[in-house]
Amino acid sequence: MTQMPMGAVPKKKDEKLKVIGKSNGNPKKLFYEVKRNYSAYLFLLPKLILFTLFVAIPVVWAFVLSFQKYKIFGSEFVGFANYIKVFESDAFRIALKNTLLFTVVTVPFGVISALVLSTLIFELGKVSQSLFRSAFYLPTVTSMVIIAMVWRWMYNYDFGLFNYVLGWFGVGPVNWLGQSSTALWALIIMQCLIPFGVGIIMYLASMGSISQSLYEAARMDGASRFKQWIHITIPLLKPTTLYLVLLSTIGSFQVFTQIIMMTGGGPGSATETLVHLIYKTGFRDFEFGLAGAQSVVLFVIILIFSVIQFRVLRHDE
Amino acid sequence: MKKVWKKSALAALTLGLAATVLAACGDKEEAGNAEEFKGKITIWDGPRWPDADDNKFHWLEEKIKEYEEANEGVEIDLVQVPWAEMGDKLGVAIAGKAWPDIAPVDISGSSVSIDHIEQGVVESLDPYFDKDAKKDFYENALDAYTYDGKLYGIPNSITLHTMLLNLDLFKEAGVEPPKDGKWTYDEFLSAAEKLTFDRDGDGKTDVHGFSTYIMPGYYEAWPFFYKNGGSPLNEDLTEFTFDSPEVVKAIQDLADLKLKHKVAPETHGGNDVGGTFQAWANEEQRTVAMQPWATWAIGAAQGKYPTNFMVAEYPSGDKDASTIGGVGGWVMMHQEDVNKKAAVADFMKFISTADEQYLMAQNYGIFPARISASEMDPFKDNPEMTRAMEMSDQVVMLPRHPEWRKIDEAIQNELQLVFNGEKTAEQAMADAKKAVDKILE
Repeated sequence: MTQMPMGAVPKKKDEKLKVIGKSNGNPKKLFYEVKRNYSAYLFLLPKLILFTLFVAIPVVWAFVLSFQKYKIFGSEFVGFANYIKVFESDAFRIALKNTLLFTVVTVPFGVISALVLSTLIFELGKVSQSLFRSAFYLPTVTSMVIIAMVWRWMYNYDFGLFNYVLGWFGVGPVNWLGQSSTALWALIIMQCLIPFGVGIIMYLASMGSISQSLYEAARMDGASRFKQWIHITIPLLKPTTLYLVLLSTIGSFQVFTQIIMMTGGGPGSATETLVHLIYKTGFRDFEFGLAGAQSVVLFVIILIFSVIQFRVLRHDE
Repeated sequence: MKKVWKKSALAALTLGLAATVLAACGDKEEAGNAEEFKGKITIWDGPRWPDADDNKFHWLEEKIKEYEEANEGVEIDLVQVPWAEMGDKLGVAIAGKAWPDIAPVDISGSSVSIDHIEQGVVESLDPYFDKDAKKDFYENALDAYTYDGKLYGIPNSITLHTMLLNLDLFKEAGVEPPKDGKWTYDEFLSAAEKLTFDRDGDGKTDVHGFSTYIMPGYYEAWPFFYKNGGSPLNEDLTEFTFDSPEVVKAIQDLADLKLKHKVAPETHGGNDVGGTFQAWANEEQRTVAMQPWATWAIGAAQGKYPTNFMVAEYPSGDKDASTIGGVGGWVMMHQEDVNKKAAVADFMKFISTADEQYLMAQNYGIFPARISASEMDPFKDNPEMTRAMEMSDQVVMLPRHPEWRKIDEAIQNELQLVFNGEKTAEQAMADAKKAVDKILE
């Protein structure tokens, strides 16, 4: 008998795990359920208040702003003018193109490398596993500002590590962040080489929940380790993969710290990305209406990507 | 006929008198009464010169103490903000209508724009500064804070950009620095060529003659673009003019220092401000002989990074040398209470006296905006600052267009591509014109 993979949705038949008190969208029922379990909802309340104040209201406010010409005293309603500006803007097109390239390269690289690394780490003993788990997770808790500063030094034309190493082979030096042809790729390489710590931790946890009996059966059938990995491990890790792809796609679309710390969007517009453009539009040009419209468009783009990814990765679950 | 004239004159006189009385009432009402205000005034400031305990806010803290003692019931709250974060923080504060009462802002800078003045975020100081009060300020300093005929701040310092020459490297290369700091572009180029050399004979250039950087909001390189005459926008700010042949040539000349003459490092025209300065000032580097910097760098080269240097003018081309200047000062953010407004203005005046500006000039490496403070001769023992101060008559201010930050970015982005050798100056400025024309529409 196989165990249920971690994170899988329980079947409806399972009475023990049945969701208690489902309101089915009926406000009366909802009110009754809240009243019945009020102590549980009281625990939820602080987080709910914070979520409303710092997430829900700003999101709604950004949407409202996108239809306004923002002024400090008395904004004006301008309909879809800001959206038209967004779609007519060369800067937005360039930023979208750069962001897409960044995402298309870094997300698959990050997830696949996390999967491969997790597989290798999973084979190790407990102590070694913990060691690698911590080592790969450590960069995740380090501020991106610090990481960007270190990488800026590594890319330095005169004293950087990369040019120093290239010098051994008589190559370079390369003006990594200073040339349009290399700047965005330098940021992409940096992102790819930072271990996807969250991915590794999640894959390791999910791998632990795959029943060993499946591998035993496969081994008895003469399947190689690689075939076991392809036909058992990867399919059963699909929910985790879906979650990680979604998570890292959203993160990649929102890339900002590296840009502001390392290139400022330059040279020219070579490393301009959507969130950096939104930041500039809002806090440098004070065009909060336009920045709101850019944010809503970004939200829709991420939503479309997420839905596509969800459908592609989930359909044969 | 005489009667009609008499009647008209009388009517005009009466109307005039009435208008004067009404205007006076209006002014008085608008001006408020500082003595009636009791409460808190918030001021933001960045670190200035340190005291013995390395406290870089001691000057303002002492002034606040003095003011609070003299004005019972008034509390001044100082918020310490690093200069690098001042623009962003103030921008966010303005967006959230949570601004301080007083902020140190160069209106030609980035945190407060002409657009904010038009929207009423910055208060006019006209009710508190009459003609006599303005007399003691340099005209260009007042102009920097004047918009549409009204004064929107108290200037406290004038800054400008100068060329800093490392005299040790000049000596090492056997190059004579320019006499009195004045030189033509050809003389500058010749010096840069001689100052580019291989010190240890390994076939690699160790010292370059010149370097600077290109970034939105930074103008160290820009006086070079003015050397043949020309400016980014025409006088009435309706047309982009940085694509004129004389400007295009000047831009290409500066980029060619790296691309053609190889007297500038690869990083010339990049965005590494700190790295560029370190290459000139850091004792362990000193890989660049000449760099243009704002006057704060003079203080740094005399203090934290002791350097044997001299101050020179930007090289002249077809026209006399010029430099880009800026004016620092205090602005009052929007106020609801007229009495508080008066109290805020009173405190702003208190920290902007000639004595304070003299003290700041001596310790903080800026030029006073008050004539009387300059007349106290704050740089009598500092020939480099004196030399820089002599350049103030060459100062050209940046265009004061409400959308300047966008225009600046459009130009600087294209300039970066010229310095990378990805576009010629002509192509780049033609592309910049397209972008700027859209903004100017």
